[in-house]
Amino acid sequence: MNMEDQKKFRKWFKPSWSYVTGAVLLSILQVITLIVTQEPLGITSAFSYWAMRLQGFLGFGTPDHWAVVTQLMGFREALWFEENLVTLRNLGIILGALLSALLASQFRLKKIKSGKQLMAAALGGLLMGYGSSIASGCNIGAFFSGIGSMSLSGWVFGLFLFVGALIGGKLLLRFLI
Amino acid sequence: MNLGDQKKDQFAKQFSAGLVLFAMLMMVAIFLFQYAPIIAFFWISGLAFGYILQRSRFCFVAALRDPALTGSTAVTRGVLVALALTTIGFTAVKYFYHVTGQTIPGQNYIQSIGMNTVVGGTIFGIGMVIAGGCASGMLMRIGEGFKIHLITLSGFFIGTMLGNNHLEWWSNHLLWIKDGVFLPDLFGWVGALIIQLMVIGLLYRLAIKWEEKQEL
Repeated sequence: MNMEDQKKFRKWFKPSWSYVTGAVLLSILQVITLIVTQEPLGITSAFSYWAMRLQGFLGFGTPDHWAVVTQLMGFREALWFEENLVTLRNLGIILGALLSALLASQFRLKKIKSGKQLMAAALGGLLMGYGSSIASGCNIGAFFSGIGSMSLSGWVFGLFLFVGALIGGKLLLRFLI
Repeated sequence: MNLGDQKKDQFAKQFSAGLVLFAMLMMVAIFLFQYAPIIAFFWISGLAFGYILQRSRFCFVAALRDPALTGSTAVTRGVLVALALTTIGFTAVKYFYHVTGQTIPGQNYIQSIGMNTVVGGTIFGIGMVIAGGCASGMLMRIGEGFKIHLITLSGFFIGTMLGNNHLEWWSNHLLWIKDGVFLPDLFGWVGALIIQLMVIGLLYRLAIKWEEKQEL
């Protein structure tokens, strides 16, 4: 491949896709995932799984509690990648995004800007972790997959996500910007 | 070498690194495929998921946050399109399993509805806006090089641990509909599909109107 061809090839990976393109591709991915794995996309069950494992390893929490969570979250009991396939997929999300960013020359190591940003990230993460574990899912599992599955819970979760986002937006304007 | 050339050089370097990464990811995929095809599927679908999210700047946080914060509904409409298409696809698959007498897949995503849904949704909504990313967005941005989202992930993990330990309480208190509601059980397959698509369509029109109103 000469220099010119190489440049053309590179340019092909550069432009962003439209939101609608993203929507179409994500929907196709959802449907294929439902057929192949018999489950829609989800992310946070992997976090629950490892939180449980760590808790068991550290030795607090009762053993039958593990069974309750397993049952409530709908885990399949099955080497680490075999045990929790959602973890493997989550790792794939990180590396797929890295691949996309590299091919478009958009990868930048971004430093943490301030203590304030650090606090916001930690607190935001904490709230999301708690929220997703009691409502059994995040924007993907409970909202996107929930509504796609025609579950009323997806709509209720989505409505309150919106309420939360309104409150979060107010907090953002008041304390962070 | 002037600044422009240096920049171009940087682009070429990143692109080459990307090609090397691609080769490595595919080697892992082949290894996993030999182990078990389904495991390779989880791997490749994750890569595709991350790639699509990054390249199309698809963000569920922006979809729910921007209408009130900036008045823009472009991402919101993207998410509504995804919801509509996924609804159609899922319903077709589920209906096929139903009429052929097989177990309908993914029915464990029909969650119970209760105070846990309300509280969980609200605090998840607050958290994702102040952290600037939800679960998928956070993973995507870690891949893009945002160190801050490693902090978000740590917080997420601790929050999950707390939530797990309260899950039993939430599932025994203030739970309104234990088995959840699968809309086709209420309205029939066609009825539910039409109603849901109409609601999504209505929200789409609202999103357009909302943005027009901001521009005035």
